[in-house]
Amino acid sequence: MIAGGTTVMGVVNTQALDFTELVSLRRAGLGGIQVTDGTAVVGATTTIAELGADEKLAFLRPVVETFASPTLRNLATVGGNLFVPQPGGDLAVCLLALGATAEIAGPAGTRTADVSDVFAAGVREGEIVTAVHFAIPAPGTWFYTKAMRLRLASAAVVTVAAVVTVQDGVVSSARIALGGAGERPVRARSAEDALLAKPLDRATVDVAAAAALKDAAPLDDAFSSAWYRARVLPVHFRRALLGE
Amino acid sequence: MAPRVVELVVNGRQRTFLVRPGTSLLMALRDTLGLTAAKRGCDVGSCGSCTVLLDGKPVMSCLVPVETVDGSAVRTLEGMTLEGGSLSDVQAAFLEGFATQCGFCTPGMIVAAEGLLAENPNPTRDDVVRAISGNVCRCTGYTSIIDAVLDAAARRRESAAAAPVAS
Repeated sequence: MIAGGTTVMGVVNTQALDFTELVSLRRAGLGGIQVTDGTAVVGATTTIAELGADEKLAFLRPVVETFASPTLRNLATVGGNLFVPQPGGDLAVCLLALGATAEIAGPAGTRTADVSDVFAAGVREGEIVTAVHFAIPAPGTWFYTKAMRLRLASAAVVTVAAVVTVQDGVVSSARIALGGAGERPVRARSAEDALLAKPLDRATVDVAAAAALKDAAPLDDAFSSAWYRARVLPVHFRRALLGE
Repeated sequence: MAPRVVELVVNGRQRTFLVRPGTSLLMALRDTLGLTAAKRGCDVGSCGSCTVLLDGKPVMSCLVPVETVDGSAVRTLEGMTLEGGSLSDVQAAFLEGFATQCGFCTPGMIVAAEGLLAENPNPTRDDVVRAISGNVCRCTGYTSIIDAVLDAAARRRESAAAAPVAS
């Protein structure tokens, strides 16, 4: 299956293949962005560039601007990003933090699954993701940092994406996802637990940042060593949540 | 699998040709159509030397299976030179600004620049940096390239201002 081709074609061009057919979704009519009552439905073949150009999804601009390069953003798709191994898959990390669901179509009909299920188990034989759904976070509740070796066009050292709501001075809900912390996006549940019912201040966030490390299995690759990722994850976690 | 017929409008001309399945847009342009300005630097979308405009958008042509863009419009550097072979304003700016040394990244850089200027005739330095962020250069250190794109933008705005208004 090929949508944008930004991961598959590199393999087709340079490696011996264990498949003999490619099915392209480029013209399957799976694009488009709809926002109704604060919920976004984004077609699977919507490109990252199209996502960045949509005024209603302006909260994702920092994600789009640090996502690969412009020439890749014009090809890479929202649906495709669900299947990209870390430290790629910046949008996938965001969708996990957003609690997004995937609409999946196959020979047995259509179904809905949490994106976390798609990360863990992929889709079944003959199925494709046709759209993702997520609630647009209220202003001031979305946090995103992507630490990179270069300022632009660079894979993540670590990524932190979070939807954190503060009510009456304390954190009432938190969904935090990490990139570079495993083969797939990781939910930082220990960090979330450390934030709940506490004020969103330096002291609390430092404790949560240390807890985030417990949820993470930092990757070791050409971009960054596991040691370095572990060393800087708590720092970027803190910077993401405190806006530093 | 059998070769397939693909039709593209390349630099304003209808082109019809056969490709083997899995052929990238890059290799169709280079091997089948003889348009060798776009380069094969990495074949995985990391270097940008293959950059072309696909339906007006700059893309890594090495990552596009050409069969999937049947019917699309493609512009390469060959289509950005002026009639009679004289250099475009962007090409002139690159040449005069010494923004090219080995020349391998240059077609990709110029195409990326043309893509930028089509959308934004008055880019900031940061706009230019972002527009070429997918294009690697090993020779120049990028500064001369960024300066050349800004120079080209200025030249283009000047000649647009000087041109008589069409009635």
